[in-house]
Amino acid sequence: MKRSFSWSSIIVLSVICLVMSGLLAVVNGITAPVIKKAEDAKANGALAEVLPGGTGFEELDISEYTLPSSITGVYRADGGHVFKTSVTGYSSGLQIMIGVNGAGEVTGTKVLSSSETLGAENTYGATTVGQTVATIDGLDTVAGATKTSTAFRQAVKDSLNASIILGGGTVDLRTPEEILKDSIAEVLPAAAGKDFEKVFLVEDLGEIKNVYKVGTDGYVVEFDGAYAGISNDGTVGVNNTTLSSDKLSAVPAILEASVLTDVDISGLEISDKITSVQKTASGNYVFMLKASGFGINGDAEYGISGLPIIVKTSVSADGVILDCLTVEQHESDGIGSVCENADYYSKYAGRTEGTLDDIQIAGATYTANGYRTAVSKVFEAVRKLKEAGK
Amino acid sequence: MDKNSKLSVVTKGFLKENPVFVLVLGTCPTIAVTTGLVGAVSMGLAATAVLICSNLVISLLRNIIPDKVRIPCFIVIIAGFVTLVQMLMHAYLPDLYELLGIYLALITVNCIILGRAEMFASKNRPLDSVLDGLGMGLGFTIALICMALIREVFGKGQIWGVDIPFLKDHTIGFLTKSPGGFLVFGLLIALSTVIAAKQGKPAPKLGCAQCPQAGICRSAGVTDDDCAKTEGGND
Repeated sequence: MKRSFSWSSIIVLSVICLVMSGLLAVVNGITAPVIKKAEDAKANGALAEVLPGGTGFEELDISEYTLPSSITGVYRADGGHVFKTSVTGYSSGLQIMIGVNGAGEVTGTKVLSSSETLGAENTYGATTVGQTVATIDGLDTVAGATKTSTAFRQAVKDSLNASIILGGGTVDLRTPEEILKDSIAEVLPAAAGKDFEKVFLVEDLGEIKNVYKVGTDGYVVEFDGAYAGISNDGTVGVNNTTLSSDKLSAVPAILEASVLTDVDISGLEISDKITSVQKTASGNYVFMLKASGFGINGDAEYGISGLPIIVKTSVSADGVILDCLTVEQHESDGIGSVCENADYYSKYAGRTEGTLDDIQIAGATYTANGYRTAVSKVFEAVRKLKEAGK
Repeated sequence: MDKNSKLSVVTKGFLKENPVFVLVLGTCPTIAVTTGLVGAVSMGLAATAVLICSNLVISLLRNIIPDKVRIPCFIVIIAGFVTLVQMLMHAYLPDLYELLGIYLALITVNCIILGRAEMFASKNRPLDSVLDGLGMGLGFTIALICMALIREVFGKGQIWGVDIPFLKDHTIGFLTKSPGGFLVFGLLIALSTVIAAKQGKPAPKLGCAQCPQAGICRSAGVTDDDCAKTEGGND
């Protein structure tokens, strides 16, 4: 009796266990995929937010790729990539997550952390949606929040480039300075690794707009992004440009022969923005200008700092700007101070009296207006200098 | 059973034999999840679902399950249903699942469920067992709601997670902590006893009958009086 009783206990308990296990297995079969999906969605919520429709996100090991330095993390999905970026805007630590689809378009952005002051990063992202690597440079920055929006745009550009790299493509990740350095080393091997300086052009070299002098080794000229190396004796090294060797070999002699003489401007009715004038033997003029900056618009007093922007510019006798350089500025850091970047002042080269209007600085209208107003005074001065036989 | 007695099977759990305030079962989750109404209602309903299902199955199997292994059998059945509710909640009500946390799994060892299985379902017909499960479950839920209402309104200054003007700025934080929970618990037990007394229904002296272990004690020759001399506890 006792024995059979024990057997039945074991059997009943076992059967109950089996039935309940079976029931749980069935329910688990139904709920497990739902739970997994919900957990994935939760984990990837932020990722899917910037890459709508992206599924199966997996984090990639970025050390396996050469990506722009602002990229701190990459997630690959079926629909494209999501990049975590870290850039410095007005202050450091602007972290943005950027989605790029398979077609190389920005699908969304999300600011993960920010110490920016104006909040431009929260609205600028929307304007980057749909941009590609070809169009991103043309995207305007936000006036008044130039640093933030420029950093944001750089993060987006880096992500677009990284997307190309991850897709098997190649992208030149070098900065303009690195490209210049590498190009100089290529066309003038003796100059590799040496310091060089941009020559302020006071002579008209025709198509040549940029000349770099590398110590005593010679010159490198740039024309439309291509470079040629010229030794001091006029020997043309590597010439990647379409410029003729004759023209190139003449460059050192022209530059070395150029001598500036001071011009007396007392008694001449020229703008008081012009502080001094020099002249070359070939008849070109070099002006030192003081331009109004931020705070006062255009042709008025100097900026909030009370100090002018000092500009040096050379103009040919027939009124074409040969070169322009910002010598000194006291404009708002990150906004008007852009005027000291070669990107900005080099835009003046080649311009004439009627073609200055489009030279602007986004977010620093006063600085740009003051700068442009000062430069515009040189054309009248050239005419008056010539009339006076100076 | 006629209709009236069937109704009384359901309603007895509300006050007369309220599992929390009268039978003093399931104190652990009662204190833990009653800091907010959302948690209280969902815990109550989850426990009710488990109670109904386990009572039904245990009642159906009451003539098959050998006496000696009935407790393990009950536990397996109850644990099965709890896990089932847990999985369904995790899948379809993930927010509630996270809110209830470990206390959801602990429904398995909630004395109310094991107690009803032992006291009622294993001795009654399936329909009555289901009604008992429903009544006791709702009684448990009502008790949790009463506790949560007091603790959330006065402890957090909220009701169902929504801020109450004035109270929000004058909260009694102590109520949201466990000691505060015990205080409210004690007050409500007193209140339910007073109400029962006023209705002329003194709290039933259930003695050892309410205890899931009663059967084991009795088969070992321990009487109710012996049991009363020892310090017993629930949960």
